[in-house]
Amino acid sequence: MATLELNQIVKSFGSVDVLHGISLSIESGQFVSLLGPSGCGKTTLLRIIAGLEAVTRGTLRIAGRDVTDVAPENRDIAMMFQSYALLPHMSVRENVRFPLRMRNRGTRKEQDERVQATLETVQLGHLADRMPRQLSGGQQQRVALARAIVSDPKILLLDEPLSNLDARLREDMQVELIELHRRLGLTTVFVTHDQEEALSLSDTVVLMNAGRIEQVGGPQEIYASPRTGFTSEFIGSANLIPVRVEETAAGPRATLPWGEVIAVAPGSKPSHKASLVLRQEDMKLLPSQTIIPNGFRATVETRVFLGARIRYVLRLGDMRIKCLAPGTDIFGPGDAVVVSVPDSRAQIIEA
Amino acid sequence: MRDRVEDLALAGPGILLLALAFVLPIAEMLGLSILGTHRELTLEHFIRFLSDPYYLGIVWRTIYLSLLITAICAAIGFPLAYVMARIRPALRLWLIVLIILPLMTSVVVRTFGWMVLLGRGGLIPFTLWKLGFVGRNFTLMHTEAAIVIGMVQVLLPFTTLSILGVVMKIDRRLEEASRTMGAGFFATLRIVILPLAMPGILAGSLLAFTLSVSSFVTPSLLGGVRLPVVAASIYDAATKTLEWNFAAAQSVILLVGVLLALTPYIKLSGRRHG
Repeated sequence: MATLELNQIVKSFGSVDVLHGISLSIESGQFVSLLGPSGCGKTTLLRIIAGLEAVTRGTLRIAGRDVTDVAPENRDIAMMFQSYALLPHMSVRENVRFPLRMRNRGTRKEQDERVQATLETVQLGHLADRMPRQLSGGQQQRVALARAIVSDPKILLLDEPLSNLDARLREDMQVELIELHRRLGLTTVFVTHDQEEALSLSDTVVLMNAGRIEQVGGPQEIYASPRTGFTSEFIGSANLIPVRVEETAAGPRATLPWGEVIAVAPGSKPSHKASLVLRQEDMKLLPSQTIIPNGFRATVETRVFLGARIRYVLRLGDMRIKCLAPGTDIFGPGDAVVVSVPDSRAQIIEA
Repeated sequence: MRDRVEDLALAGPGILLLALAFVLPIAEMLGLSILGTHRELTLEHFIRFLSDPYYLGIVWRTIYLSLLITAICAAIGFPLAYVMARIRPALRLWLIVLIILPLMTSVVVRTFGWMVLLGRGGLIPFTLWKLGFVGRNFTLMHTEAAIVIGMVQVLLPFTTLSILGVVMKIDRRLEEASRTMGAGFFATLRIVILPLAMPGILAGSLLAFTLSVSSFVTPSLLGGVRLPVVAASIYDAATKTLEWNFAAAQSVILLVGVLLALTPYIKLSGRRHG
């Protein structure tokens, strides 16, 4: 358990810059997600923390110690790979013992006890003598997790560890990761492209885009108050509508591109070039005659049934927006609807 | 049922070719080896070879030189293959070309090259003498060292390329995982890469050993007549003393020896593959 400080980390591959000066400070015991689309540099950043990539410029401190030029084996970290990277020629037990053996932690007997205890933690005590190829994907993943936590590393690095699992297993593992983190309190850096995963697991979400940090904050904060268009689109895949915002006696009002005016979140600043952030799940579709306090008219273009919910694609003038509605309200393509938006959920960001 | 007929039909031409090119000559050789001077069945050729200290000496030399050559090839081939697997693809291509290039010239030509380099006043002894490592100008020709040097050069490409094929398939992330778990570069090489490369090392060594045990040109030219190996002894029997049956018997012994060497290898690599 230790702090992690990144100071102006720049990484270039040849003439291509993949990280443009990343600075980030992570407190001891935090669970931090690096979230972003593929190619945003999140995995490169994780590999830099692990020591598997050298930085082009910048410094990196773990527990206050400058480790910028320290080899991965001397950083006292553990990393769990997306592909698990279990050593195929060693049994589960030997795999989990590997970090203890390489770091000379304790006697052989103490190591064996520690390995067994860690395997019990991930409910694999009974499979200790199997070879990795004899395990299912989910079991291999638990071995990888056990191997990562067995040596009580200063920093635990997780590289999209859940992305190879099917949906059910994945939810189970998320819960287990949360519980494990609560119990062990390891400083954890978790790379993912799945915003739900990032929001549900972490204390802090670091949203990255094109080699830069877009926004850092708690899951609730980053969800509720996106500061940039990218954040709002990436988190919850919100709709962005260009608007003009004016202050009126009744509060701020936004003029939509097709002329309708709606009330937006109190405190929104007047602007000629702003974007209205509308989350798919914040809108409510009602039959076109309904009187609503705030909202606009639209036409249903497409309906996609998702089980618990329905995704509608709505046409407004020449724009299209997406909307998630409960599975119970059924409108068909071509239906005229009104879209109700509580003004507090109509966020304005500078375009 | 139909599948089996189809399989046989497809494999047929190949099997026929193998039978004509391999099974027939080997059967002929086996037959010759147990025929006496008056065409009676006899084991006299085998007994003659296996009871004469002179021939046993030849067998022993062949075996230990081959083992030494194989070990050196593996010891150089593994690190070389590892480096080749980890460098840029463009550079790797050049290294592969560089390694295969000698294979494109005749073994005889290359061996003559070594004779020039290793002989008295040749580049290697002369340099060693001038640098003061040895007391006088000497010759490396007609020594076992010459045979080993020449054979390693001939066989290294086979070993390296067999190992390269396997090392290329080792997931790089295993190495990275090992590093993050506290193993340094050399520890990772020894504990992770070496065991995973073992099938390639075994296959390459097997190739080197079998080629080395049965090699004729290089040991004869570099070792000379006073350091004969089994293949040279077979050659002498077949062409100089014209004892074809004795030559056949020696060939059978060589063949059985190679097969014996093969079995533990097959068992070992079979176990590795599970």
